[in-house]
Formats: sequence, structure tokens, C-alpha cells
Amino acid sequence: MPFDQLDLKRAIAGDERALQRLWSQHAPHIDAVVRRLCGDAELAADISQEVWMQIFRALPSYRGDSQFGTWAHRIAVNRTLNALRKIRRLAKMETEIEDDSAITEMDSDRTFVAESIEQAMSKLSPGARAVFVLHDIEGYTHGEIGEELGITAGGSKSQLFKARAKLRKLLAHLVDETPTVAGKGKGHVAAV
Amino acid sequence: MSQLSEDQLDEMIDRERLRETAPLNDWRTIAARAREEGLLRGSEAGRIWGSAQPWLRAAAAVLILVGGIAIGRTTIALPSSASSVASTEAVAPTAASPSAAALATPASSTLGFSSVEEASTTLNRALSDYQRASRFLAANNASGGTRDSLAIYAARAEALDKIVNATERALQTAPHDPVINQYYLATMGARVATEQMVARPVVLKGF
Repeated sequence: MPFDQLDLKRAIAGDERALQRLWSQHAPHIDAVVRRLCGDAELAADISQEVWMQIFRALPSYRGDSQFGTWAHRIAVNRTLNALRKIRRLAKMETEIEDDSAITEMDSDRTFVAESIEQAMSKLSPGARAVFVLHDIEGYTHGEIGEELGITAGGSKSQLFKARAKLRKLLAHLVDETPTVAGKGKGHVAAV
Repeated sequence: MSQLSEDQLDEMIDRERLRETAPLNDWRTIAARAREEGLLRGSEAGRIWGSAQPWLRAAAAVLILVGGIAIGRTTIALPSSASSVASTEAVAPTAASPSAAALATPASSTLGFSSVEEASTTLNRALSDYQRASRFLAANNASGGTRDSLAIYAARAEALDKIVNATERALQTAPHDPVINQYYLATMGARVATEQMVARPVVLKGF
């Protein structure tokens, strides 16, 4: 059952059942965004709590101009990036955004075998991962990413190019494998 | 070392975009945080009563006591006397009351009553004591640091008004029901005490 205006009013009033329904409907997607941006499940769980508190706090300002999921998603991205900045993960990225951070660890990555794109993303630098997730998965433009991360659109493009190149190498073994091996739990990649 | 093609990577990204994962926290964790921040009011009543001033907790205890007594009297199928439907004047104890002996019985006694009149008198006395104590404490409570704000009293008065209104509607259906009458009296007592704090005029409706 979709979340309607009455549910929204109840949620704003602090009704637990309404808030729980809201969370149940959107947590799988919202939390997935947080997890991808963080690249660390434990940190993501902590930040997810902050994200949901922010969504609940901001409910009265939701005007219904966009889908609730889209509105909440934007809050999730902002809150997660702010949280990451606070713990200085993105601060480092912002100062190094123009360097080759996405490929500097390439030698050590030769021994790393990613089982999935999520695992491969965790090998990206925080900045490269943020750009990749926001652009390729969440659909942000480079201009929007630039605003979110405090970098130029060109810097975002550059970082995305390097991130994709690194991911293609980290995941290369998946297409090198024989179909028999791929069938043992890697079938989703063998079909690529 | 080979690598994925751009198209192959895009296909994996498409799958990742559609993939939903289990929530990172369970609802109880989220709810606890929301409750801490006052964003969730599902258990608001419990928090209010838990942090209420002593006189309010006592009032709640009396309300429960009165309700329990009345329900008990009803469930043992004793006839309800007209005297149990007390008016505000009737509940005020007087020295000339014929039930003076009953008034001497401790309200907290767990012993049974010897008659309906005795139980009714005790019940009325408890109500009267409760109302007088509530009014006194509301007027004289000077615990500045813990005193609720006028806004809280106003909200409480508004909530009590709703209870009174609901009880009045119930009384129209069952005007002599002792349980409903006792709830009405107890609620009115709380309302009077609260109204005194927000200096709003009280209109005690008859029943």
C-alpha cells in the first residue's frame, strides 16, 4: 500500500506505525545508497541512522513536488556526504581530487579479486567512489556532483573516468573465467 | 591483464542500480533514536507519565484506583445506588454525614467492604480527596525547576477536554453507569487542576 498524505501527516505527528511504514518502504533503497557511498557496512549503519533522523526531521518540509523516494534520496546523499566529510574521508578526497588517487593503488590491486561490483567499489578511493556512485548509479550530472563535493565538473569527469577504468580491471577476472566457474555463484557476471 | 568492456561494466552498474539490500539497521534502533529526539511519539504517554511531577503521578494512581474500584463493584453485580452517582457537592465530606464510620476506613485498605454504601462512601471520599489534593498541589507546587510550562498545561487541558467530551457522550447513553461516572469525575478533577495552571475558566458540566 503506498504511503499517502494521511500517512504523511501521521508520520509528521510522530505516529510510530506511520514512521515505520515509511522506513520499511524506503530503507532498502535509501540504505543501499548510504552503503555504496560509505564503502563500509559498519560506518554505513551509523550514518544511516543519521540519514533517517534527518528524513524524519524534514518531513514537514516535504511538499509533494517530487516522489517521496526521490526527495528522501537527496537527503540521504547530502547527509551521507556531510557525515563522510566530518570524518575527514572526503576532506582528503577534495584535496587530492586532481591527482591520480584512483589508480595509485593499481599495483596492489593486481592481487585483489572482486566478487562483485560493490566489492570492487570498496577498492576505490572515497572521492572516486562518491563520483562513480553519484554519476553512474544515482544519475547525478557532473555539475550536480561538483556542487555536492565542492569540485569542478571537469574534476568529476576525470575522477569518473579513472574510477571506471579501475573497476573494469578489478572485475576483469569475472569475464576471463570459464562458464563452468562462473556458474558457481558468479553467473550474474558471466552473462555480461 | 584483460578488462571488462565499457558495455559490460554498464550492464553490471544497471544491475547494481536495481539491487536493493536489507536495511542497515532494524526498526527498533531507528525508533529508539527517533524517540530520543522527540520525533516519535508512539510511547509518548509513557514518557510523559514517567517524567511527570509527583502530584500528577498520584492523580493517575487515584484514577486507576477509582476505575478499578468501580469496575470491581460492577463486575460483582452489586446494584448501583443513586448515591454512587455523586455530584461535586455530594462528594464533599461533612461531619454530619451518616457514613462517618466509613470515612474512617483507610482508603488504601485492601479489606472488603461490609456494604455497598460503605464502599460508595469510601470511593466518594477518595475522589473528593483526590480533587482537593490536585487543586492544592496545582496551586501551591513551587518546584520551580521541574514546573511544566504553560504550553504543556494547555496541551494537557486540551487533551483532558477530549476525554471529558467522550465521557459525556458515554453518559448520555448510560447516565447512571457508575464506572463512566467515576471516570468522568476523576477526569474532571485532573481538568480542574490543570485549568488552574493555565487560568482558563472551568465549566463543570452536570451528569
